[in-house]
Amino acid sequence: MTLQRFFKAMTVVVMLLASQVSFAQNKTVSGRVTDARDGSPVSGASVTAKGATVGTSTNADGFFSMSVPASVTTLVVSSVGFGTMELPAGENVSFALAAANGSNLNEVVVTGYGSARKKDLTGAVTSVKSKDFNQGVFASPDNLIQGKVAGVQVLNNSGAPGGAATIRIRGIGSIRSGNAPLIVVDGVPLSGGTAAPGNGTPLGGSPGENPLNFINPSDIASMDVLKDASATAIFGSRGANGVIMITTKKGQSGSPRIEFNTSVGVSSLLRRMDVLDGDEYRAALKSYGLTGGDFGANVDAIDAITRRGIQQNHNIAISGGNDNGRYRLSLGYLDQQGIIKESGFKKYSANLTSSYRFLESKRLGVDFNLMTAQTVNKLAPISNDAGFQGSLIGHALQWNPTHPLYQADGSIWVNNNLGATTVNPMAMLAAHNDVSNLTTILASISPSYKITNNLEYRMLYSVNYGVGDRKSEIRNWLNLTGNLGWAQSINNKSINQALNHTLTWTPKITDNLSLNAVVGYEYLKFDFRGNGMTGNRFVDYPGLNYWDYMGNVPPNDRSIYSFASPIAELQSYFARATFNWADRLLLTATMRADGSSKFGANNKYGYFPSVAAAWNITNESFLRNSKLISNLKLRASWGITGNQEFPSGTSIPVVGIGQGGNQNRVNFANPDIKWETNTMTNIGLDFGFADNRLTGSVDWFTRLTSDPLFQFDVTAPGPSEGRYWRNLPATIKNSGIELALNYAIIRNADMTWNISGNIAFLDNELNDLQGAYETGAISGQGLSGATAQRLVSGQPLNVWYLRQFEGIDKTTGQSIYTNGGNTLFYSGSPNPRQVYGFSTDFSWRKVFAILNFNGAAGHLIYNNTLNGVTPIGNLGTRNVASSLIGGAVKESISNPIAPSTRYLEKGNYLKLANATIGYRLGSLGKVFNNVTATLTGQNLLLFTNFSGFDPEVNVDKNVQGIPSFGIEYIPYPTARTILFGLNFAF
Amino acid sequence: MKHIRIITVILGSLVGLSCTKLDEKLRDSISAESSTVTAAGLLQSAYESFNTPLQDQSRIWAASEHTTDEALGPTRGPDWDDNGVWRVLHAHTWNADHSFLRDTYRELLGVQFAASTVLTKSPNAQQAAEAKFLRALSTFYVLDNWDQVPFRDDLQNLTKLPTTLAGTAAADQIIKDLNEALPALPDGTPIRASKDAARALLMKVYLNRGVYANRAAPTFAGADMDQVIALADAILAKPNYALNTNYFHNFAPDNLSRSREMIFALENTVGVRGGNNRYFWFCGLHYNQRPSGWNGFCTLADFYDKFETADQRRGAAYPGVTNVTGLRVGFLEGQQFNENGTALKDRKGNNLAFTRKVALQETGNDLEVTGIRVMKYVPDFSQGVDGPAENEVVIFRLADVMLMKAEALLRKGNAAGALTIMNQLRAARGATALSSATLTNLLEERGREMYWEGWRRNDLIRFGRFLDPLPAAPGTTSTRSTKSGNERLLFPIPNQQLAVNPNLKQNPGY
Repeated sequence: MTLQRFFKAMTVVVMLLASQVSFAQNKTVSGRVTDARDGSPVSGASVTAKGATVGTSTNADGFFSMSVPASVTTLVVSSVGFGTMELPAGENVSFALAAANGSNLNEVVVTGYGSARKKDLTGAVTSVKSKDFNQGVFASPDNLIQGKVAGVQVLNNSGAPGGAATIRIRGIGSIRSGNAPLIVVDGVPLSGGTAAPGNGTPLGGSPGENPLNFINPSDIASMDVLKDASATAIFGSRGANGVIMITTKKGQSGSPRIEFNTSVGVSSLLRRMDVLDGDEYRAALKSYGLTGGDFGANVDAIDAITRRGIQQNHNIAISGGNDNGRYRLSLGYLDQQGIIKESGFKKYSANLTSSYRFLESKRLGVDFNLMTAQTVNKLAPISNDAGFQGSLIGHALQWNPTHPLYQADGSIWVNNNLGATTVNPMAMLAAHNDVSNLTTILASISPSYKITNNLEYRMLYSVNYGVGDRKSEIRNWLNLTGNLGWAQSINNKSINQALNHTLTWTPKITDNLSLNAVVGYEYLKFDFRGNGMTGNRFVDYPGLNYWDYMGNVPPNDRSIYSFASPIAELQSYFARATFNWADRLLLTATMRADGSSKFGANNKYGYFPSVAAAWNITNESFLRNSKLISNLKLRASWGITGNQEFPSGTSIPVVGIGQGGNQNRVNFANPDIKWETNTMTNIGLDFGFADNRLTGSVDWFTRLTSDPLFQFDVTAPGPSEGRYWRNLPATIKNSGIELALNYAIIRNADMTWNISGNIAFLDNELNDLQGAYETGAISGQGLSGATAQRLVSGQPLNVWYLRQFEGIDKTTGQSIYTNGGNTLFYSGSPNPRQVYGFSTDFSWRKVFAILNFNGAAGHLIYNNTLNGVTPIGNLGTRNVASSLIGGAVKESISNPIAPSTRYLEKGNYLKLANATIGYRLGSLGKVFNNVTATLTGQNLLLFTNFSGFDPEVNVDKNVQGIPSFGIEYIPYPTARTILFGLNFAF
Repeated sequence: MKHIRIITVILGSLVGLSCTKLDEKLRDSISAESSTVTAAGLLQSAYESFNTPLQDQSRIWAASEHTTDEALGPTRGPDWDDNGVWRVLHAHTWNADHSFLRDTYRELLGVQFAASTVLTKSPNAQQAAEAKFLRALSTFYVLDNWDQVPFRDDLQNLTKLPTTLAGTAAADQIIKDLNEALPALPDGTPIRASKDAARALLMKVYLNRGVYANRAAPTFAGADMDQVIALADAILAKPNYALNTNYFHNFAPDNLSRSREMIFALENTVGVRGGNNRYFWFCGLHYNQRPSGWNGFCTLADFYDKFETADQRRGAAYPGVTNVTGLRVGFLEGQQFNENGTALKDRKGNNLAFTRKVALQETGNDLEVTGIRVMKYVPDFSQGVDGPAENEVVIFRLADVMLMKAEALLRKGNAAGALTIMNQLRAARGATALSSATLTNLLEERGREMYWEGWRRNDLIRFGRFLDPLPAAPGTTSTRSTKSGNERLLFPIPNQQLAVNPNLKQNPGY
């Protein structure tokens, strides 16, 4: 369905509604639905007028408002997990819904191939509902749960709108095959990749785009994080890094309802790395006795390349339904201007979810979901590994603050007086264009049939289609080393299909013993291909883009390529059984058999079992009547999951086809290649005290990765490109303790105040690895080939391996290193020992406020920017970091920039990620209901001693595909955003 | 029951439709069985696999020159730190994680693999002979630098570990390959394997066989020296070789046609084959010279002082270069000029005058200009000053053959025969005649003739001088003032290879 059609359909609905509103004999009823236990709002509760056909549902804050016929006297409120409640109709009616048992224990949590009440869970699962999401404008959903789940770290790899994020659940278990969790959207497991071309440019490797950009965060109802093997083993060879289940909002029964939310705001640079201004630069030149290097002006290049970026996000959703069917249609528009000039991200999304029941018995059901998005990403000239040539942020930091950016006539000073290799950042902005377009469709259909009351069959078929194209150019007049005028045009396409069948049986075996069993079959197919062309030596026709006239390039300066990865297929059989004995003891066992086309012939199928038990101690007679303890549940689980994120075509010998008759062995057979194995043990305790005023959980886990996948060079002598994947005999151990607490300080009809927090203590160690592997590339002029991290036995993954810096010699101004710098030392870990989040929400009558903090501690970050971009040696030509000037010891201008612990900085930080204050205006006239106005700030406060742009950073500095972690290198800077938001419904 | 039947039908049909054997089908590449690659194609790949290890500034050249008195890569403030990779080579403090040495070792063995693969695809006699020559050359470099040479017989099962050849056994393998190759090799162009290329390599192996038996105290068997002399005579008998009137024609962009000393060289033809041969001039040239260089490597004043002023190898103007951008070839010392004779400045406004003094870690305000620069190769301006270069990179040439013969004669006690050859060469280069031939002045002559051609380390070890502290010319300080340990006669086996190949053992002392 096209956007146009959606709009047409919407207009019709709006007109229909308008005509309804014109009925004169209506009255407005409004109110709020809260949880009787803790006063927290109940969102999505259905509110209907008794004896009439109208109805609505509550918003994220539990409020509702609707127009009903004057004859209506009673409202009926109900919600999943709660009882039904009737109260006289009126304005500002407060419903305090009683839950059947416990506070949110009846809350439904989405698990693999099914769902369960929270109290029936045996695994470590954390559910984050939309009302608890982070506030603000986000391009992708991963930021919604940042800091919200114990043991889950979400890092933005760059500050660019639409940029990729790093998500780690319970540490890092894999060396080489990825640590990203499996994302499942409404039952559809995603591939983890994106069709957005990630190719580099002459400036170096481009930071990646977020593969979840196609999901509109405002369409998400909940995100459930599955952490332990009891929960993830059902996902078999793709479950090792944890699973995030995304559930989108669905229509509710009742008359059609239109919800609108909009936010408009402005972004600016959160924080900058300090370099000298013009006057300071002149003073520094003088203090070093340098005669050159002063060009008289006073310019701030970082100011010049940044701006205030306008943010806009508009969403409209129409939903409704009855007993036979429900639907929800939403349209979204997101326009994020980047704080770097010329950059920005736009998203157009349209989603339709619907669900129908057929037959008189309503036994046959069909669910349809259609999620479509078009994103347009204008990328800034920023790369992960800029060397001699530099990239935008580096050039702006290095720009001599006494040299004007513009000539007297107002034109950009391209061929400046700072030497042939110094690029004017304004010229780079003007000469560089890079646009990535991505169209994504995720469509699924899921028929189900209730064979008997406790036996249901369900099928799900989905297609996830992505087409990305990327066009980039660097104009020939830019004085970038080696630049002749360059352009690139790339197209990628991915088509991923998923099919599964499940049979769910929920018999009551005896009065006290019930069973919930699922068996299923799943088939996944991943298809990825692409092509591209590159040209050099363009003749410049101003006003045209090079990529539109590639034919201009001389034949020897053209290159083309195409690829089509072998189709990857997975075929799996799985089963799960949960026995529940009198709500006191729960026992779950799961098993999955995963076959993958990627696995070697000798290991085609992997088997992933798990067992878990839980004891609801509160349901024992000795606790049942306790006033103090309202919930106590002990959980224990063990299971095995896998990781199979290596490229297809790995187990078989592959000969690449080159130009002319060229053929190269590109892969050597490894018929033994298989998944990486994760064995996880988890023991947890869920608790609630004082009528569930204080709730929380504590979990202890160990996670042992064995047979980690690794890409090797063939033992020499071997071919130059001859690399092959194998399972190493090494192990990686992650262990930790997670604590989550939630305390309702105040809960009454007028006022609620909750605080919640979580923290995870993590430990990581690599063992039994033969040899050592370097990674963590340090970039910059004079730093060719330098690395800072290592994989080695007995140390955490990515341990820093550096010269030890002991200070600057007072007399020579040169760095002093332990043992003259000839010995490298293991110098700490980039992996945080603690990851935490903290939130509070306060509500008093119509006013509410929400604060969300997150942070990490106990790790070290490498400041590659300070090391490679702004060293003291720049003085006289380029700019230097302010921190290098005016210290107690004067550093010599000739002091080399050897990578060392000098550039390791504590990464501890606490960020006020977002803060919102809001006011509920209620109904405005007879048309607008549930009007809420909010003011939100994102990244308002940052507490850290880190001297770079943002300690929440992870620039991709891999070496030969071995991932790095915790290196900052001239990234797209983080923005601070202030937003005004307005929500209302018709 | 009806329900169950319905569900069985649905399930059965859908499962049936979707069941798969999970076979992988290649779409943009082919399987090993359907590869149609020919011996000729593989042979070309084998030649090309030498590009990186033999003509990149960070590979065998760095290992052979930066470790000696001929070259060093000083750290110049924020430039050329590169995590110390250059400094440790010159200071003899490298370890088994050195990234250049690690990659050189793997790439050289990659040549062996590429050459061996040719032999599996039914090559004709000449193709087989060329492949054996390439394999022998790669084995020679690995033997010379690391002693232990992993050798693969089975090219199909790469998970099987290679066997290790070391010392004289590896030398014998090279001799065997070359002797098998010789009859079928052509008398052809220097950019392909030829009879004379094989003879020159055999000379290197025989000359160094005593070294491979005992690097710390080599002895030279008379029979080996006789082989060297006989092989040299076979080459020198050919009328097509002669010493050039202009020494630098050997290294000119058109050296393949212009030089008559070429025996074996790596081809650099734009669009056909080649690589980073420009580093020979880019590595030393200052940013403000044309072409704008990397302002890196230089040589020691003591080495420079070994040349007589009139020796043409010390430096000269070269037509097509000096008149275009002011650059001279040979050694660049003192003030530099552009083509109009205007004195150049460095980036900080100092005179661009390359100094005799240099330190491994430069600390002064003159750090951009320290050290005498070396322009062994003549920049190729035919496609622009910054354009690609077509100079063939010379591996074996006539003067080397002559000096090797002189050395063999001298080691057999025939000093007079050696002196004749040395003076013949010196006369051609514009240097005065020597009065006697000694091991000392023969080593010096090899330095003067062969500087920056990648033989210095090999020569110094054979003459027992590699571990010596580096002398300091007047007014300079030594860049390595202590004698190195015997372990430095070999490079360590890279940890990367030790981790995956238990048939390798770390060299003693590392």
